[in-house]
Amino acid sequence: MSVVEAPTATVSLDPPSVPPVGPERHPVRTAVMYVLITVIALGVLVPFVWMVSSSLKNNNEVFTVPTQWIPRDFQWNNYVDIWSRIPMTTYLRNSLFLSLVITFLQVLTGSFAAYGFSKVRWRGRDALFVAYIATIAVPWQAYMVPQYVMLQKAGLVNTFWSLILLQAFGAFGVFLLRQYYLTIPDELCEAARIDGLSEYGIYRRIILPLSKPALASLALLTFVATWNDYMGPFIYLTSNELWTVQLGLKSFVGLFDGDYAMIMTGSVISVVPILVIFLIGQKYFIQGIATSGLKG
Amino acid sequence: MAITAAPPTAPTASSAGSGTTGRQSRRNTLIGISFILPNFLGFALLTLVPVVAAFGLAFMEWDSYNPAEFVGLDNFQKMFGNDTFWIALRNTLYYGIGHVPLTLLCSLGLALVLNRKLRGVRFFRTAAFFPYVTSLVAVAVVWNMLFNPTMGPVNQLLTTLGVANPPGWTSSSDWAMPAVIITSVWRDMGYYMILFLAGLQTIPVEYYEAARVDGANAWQRFWHITLPTLRPTTFLVLILLTVGSFKVFDLIVVMTDGGPGRATLVLSQLIYREGIAQGEFGYASAISLVLFVIVLLVTVLQFRLGERRDR
Amino acid sequence: MNRKALAAIGAAAALSLTLAACGSGSGNAPDDEATESGPVDLSVAVWSMDQTPEFQALFDAFEAEYPDITITPVDILADDYPEKVTTMLAGGDTTDVLTMKTLTDYSRWAGRGQLEDVTDLVTDYPDGKLAGTDGYDQDGKFFAVPYRQDFWVLYYNKALFDAAGLDYPDHVTWDEYADLAQKLTGTDAAGQKVYGTYNHVWRSVTQAIAQAQNDGDLLSGDYGFLTDQYDLNVGLQKDGYALDYSTAKTQQVSYRTMFETQATAMMPMGTWYISGILQAKKDAKSTVEWGIAPMPQVDDGDTTTTFGGPTAFAVNKAAKNKDAAKKFLAFAASLKGAEAISAIGVVPALQSDDVTAAYFALEGMPTDDLSKEAFAPDDVALEMAPSDITADVDVILNEEHDLIMVGEKSVDDGIAAMESRVKQDVLD
Repeated sequence: MSVVEAPTATVSLDPPSVPPVGPERHPVRTAVMYVLITVIALGVLVPFVWMVSSSLKNNNEVFTVPTQWIPRDFQWNNYVDIWSRIPMTTYLRNSLFLSLVITFLQVLTGSFAAYGFSKVRWRGRDALFVAYIATIAVPWQAYMVPQYVMLQKAGLVNTFWSLILLQAFGAFGVFLLRQYYLTIPDELCEAARIDGLSEYGIYRRIILPLSKPALASLALLTFVATWNDYMGPFIYLTSNELWTVQLGLKSFVGLFDGDYAMIMTGSVISVVPILVIFLIGQKYFIQGIATSGLKG
Repeated sequence: MAITAAPPTAPTASSAGSGTTGRQSRRNTLIGISFILPNFLGFALLTLVPVVAAFGLAFMEWDSYNPAEFVGLDNFQKMFGNDTFWIALRNTLYYGIGHVPLTLLCSLGLALVLNRKLRGVRFFRTAAFFPYVTSLVAVAVVWNMLFNPTMGPVNQLLTTLGVANPPGWTSSSDWAMPAVIITSVWRDMGYYMILFLAGLQTIPVEYYEAARVDGANAWQRFWHITLPTLRPTTFLVLILLTVGSFKVFDLIVVMTDGGPGRATLVLSQLIYREGIAQGEFGYASAISLVLFVIVLLVTVLQFRLGERRDR
Repeated sequence: MNRKALAAIGAAAALSLTLAACGSGSGNAPDDEATESGPVDLSVAVWSMDQTPEFQALFDAFEAEYPDITITPVDILADDYPEKVTTMLAGGDTTDVLTMKTLTDYSRWAGRGQLEDVTDLVTDYPDGKLAGTDGYDQDGKFFAVPYRQDFWVLYYNKALFDAAGLDYPDHVTWDEYADLAQKLTGTDAAGQKVYGTYNHVWRSVTQAIAQAQNDGDLLSGDYGFLTDQYDLNVGLQKDGYALDYSTAKTQQVSYRTMFETQATAMMPMGTWYISGILQAKKDAKSTVEWGIAPMPQVDDGDTTTTFGGPTAFAVNKAAKNKDAAKKFLAFAASLKGAEAISAIGVVPALQSDDVTAAYFALEGMPTDDLSKEAFAPDDVALEMAPSDITADVDVILNEEHDLIMVGEKSVDDGIAAMESRVKQDVLD
């Protein structure tokens, strides 16, 4: 079974020749662009606005028909009460710990494996890679119980270890980084090989520095996925002191109904760390148009 | 466990007999394996083994507690004779055909628009990512409200545009799936935008400079530089989107719960229902195996097509 | 690609799984006979403790009665409680006591042999009449003991009835109920729309009550007995006397919101809501003046037939402390257990005059005779009989209920579809 080789072949180092064409910076175009993205941004934020609005209501005013966008009277105390109604600090700390450890391991092992899948040629590589990707397609619900039985036998249920082991070695990161490594011209690696650098040296000195945007985006997406995960922690973490934010929020749902004002309050709070990570991460995965190491 | 050692050694064995290049190739294999090993060990033990075990269950009857019993192809027979399975399969494909191309286009468009030096662009990028981190309950409630057949703004707009009978959206069997697709595109585009943004960073600025010197306009630069260079990223997004759309679960559960009737019931929901909820783990595994095979075929097809285009 | 290797992995994995399953199923029965003396640490699986104060009330009362037993709750989120317990049991979990959220879950776990036989606790019950035990009868054996029993009543808003100059719904028929709903529909002083009644989106609102009052059987595959009730409820929303189902479902409307913000004058609902409404009034989050009345009936008369469902505790077959666990089950169903939970507005399974008196002595409870009569229905039918086909039938009935209520199918077409699908997919 052979899998597609790096599409980098199309990236020739010669600039493509194209016919000449008129000027390029238009104030009108910029204005149109602003209007466009402002409209998109507003449309995109509407549900978030509902979330914030609901977090400032009494619970029995959240789901009303028709929707009430501005709370009748603002329940600012929701943001105070939530800290005493559930151990929010503990949950935040647990979520943060899990997200950071899993993100770190995923980026580390993922980037390492991605190098093996993209820059070193060996037989069987592509078949193994397809197996990797294909497992992403299996819904977790399908193998949840066998997995649980295994981890229960290993005595890891109800510890952070279970979740770290389950989520840190995902195929997703390997796939993502492999695709980015493919865009890094093989010529760079070849040159380094001729200079006598070992494969590990090439990985560390050339690939890693060049793939910062990809590493940053993987880190962001892994962090968010772990932070927002509900089913994993629900199945594996039973003791209350190990619970994550998402479990804590769900604890406001009772047998027949739930305290949705509190859930929305907690949801707004739990978005804050993501926002911080996102703003930090932006610096790395968006630098405007990049320069590559090709020049020298 | 002996199992985990099997896949990495298999390629080594098969590459051994290839003549003079044998040593070099074996060396490369060892190096390659040393790179993937840390990730692969964890992956094989904790994902691959349970997945394969689950597939084994497809040929058994298991209630999660008592010993499993081999039943051959009974589960598949039951599945193919059950119209709920076919409805769920059709809905899943319908969702994928709508969700994948639309999300691809929207996220690429967003990334291109937001990959420039505009004032306030940081805010807009953050905003575009927000749907992905907004609570699903909020997403479901607000979109259902927008889609409300009588009071919702969507239909009010359609009416003023002259549409005589605007659709019933989530309360109608015919329109529930389009409503779900629109919502899912809205929710996911920020996520894939991140991948495209990172991909755009790898395009060397020299390419654009050279093209500009040659007088290429924006469209030409996009078509001849951005798109080809972005191909590995596009491929990544395409596969992730395909796989993701075959697995769609959360959004549908909170937005329509498969309804009205079975109009938006998808395979992963059926797997959940039959397996963990009803305790028919063998049957649920059989459905997952079919889902897996479909996704595998589609993925291999996408790989092949990508390969042909590169020649 | 090496197919043999893959096949080998598959076989090995399947084998290891089977072995694991065997191990959890039969192997590790603990020898618990020796743990009679000394302090015992009893673990009890419950859902959302913060939202469900009855558990803490029971635990406190139990620990006071048995000082040498301490209870460790295993708190599981209510939403996915059965899924988590199923997974835990598959892994050989040793939590002592398990709460049975629904009869369907119970029959599944009991059927697999995951629960301890506690028949003696039910047959030798000392304190009087324990409601709801029928649902747990598995060929004469019982694997769980009910401690609470909820049933459906008609909640109504006294102020809205007074304002409309109408009598409270005292033993009304469904026709009279529809008539009241029409008269009570309107707008309040603040311009808010007020509906005559509110039917929550659950299918039991229509189906279980029709089954109870028309001697129907939801597992039979013949659903003609549902026609009248569907005609009534579809008619109510069509005429605008009840909030329409589509809106209620897609906007995730909460029945508490409907009643507590006085957007509806009547509402059929289970007795579990009593503790919720008491709490809302206590916290000054609602000003509704409320009462409960017996469920409307098909025919005129004073007998009340409604439906409901029990909640029970069971002992895990793999429990570490089976004796203490059985003590807990017996206590929860006893008079002392009943007093502990009725003190917070929960309806215990044990039925006696003392319990009822204690219940209506609660602060904030309506004390009129009608409410007390509502609390003593003549007949409480099960919502749905537990059996190995219940879960499959449930899915089909839900889907067709959905289609009838959103107006995609006529009542007759929907019922015909229920009959053909249940007969074809489940009964065959």
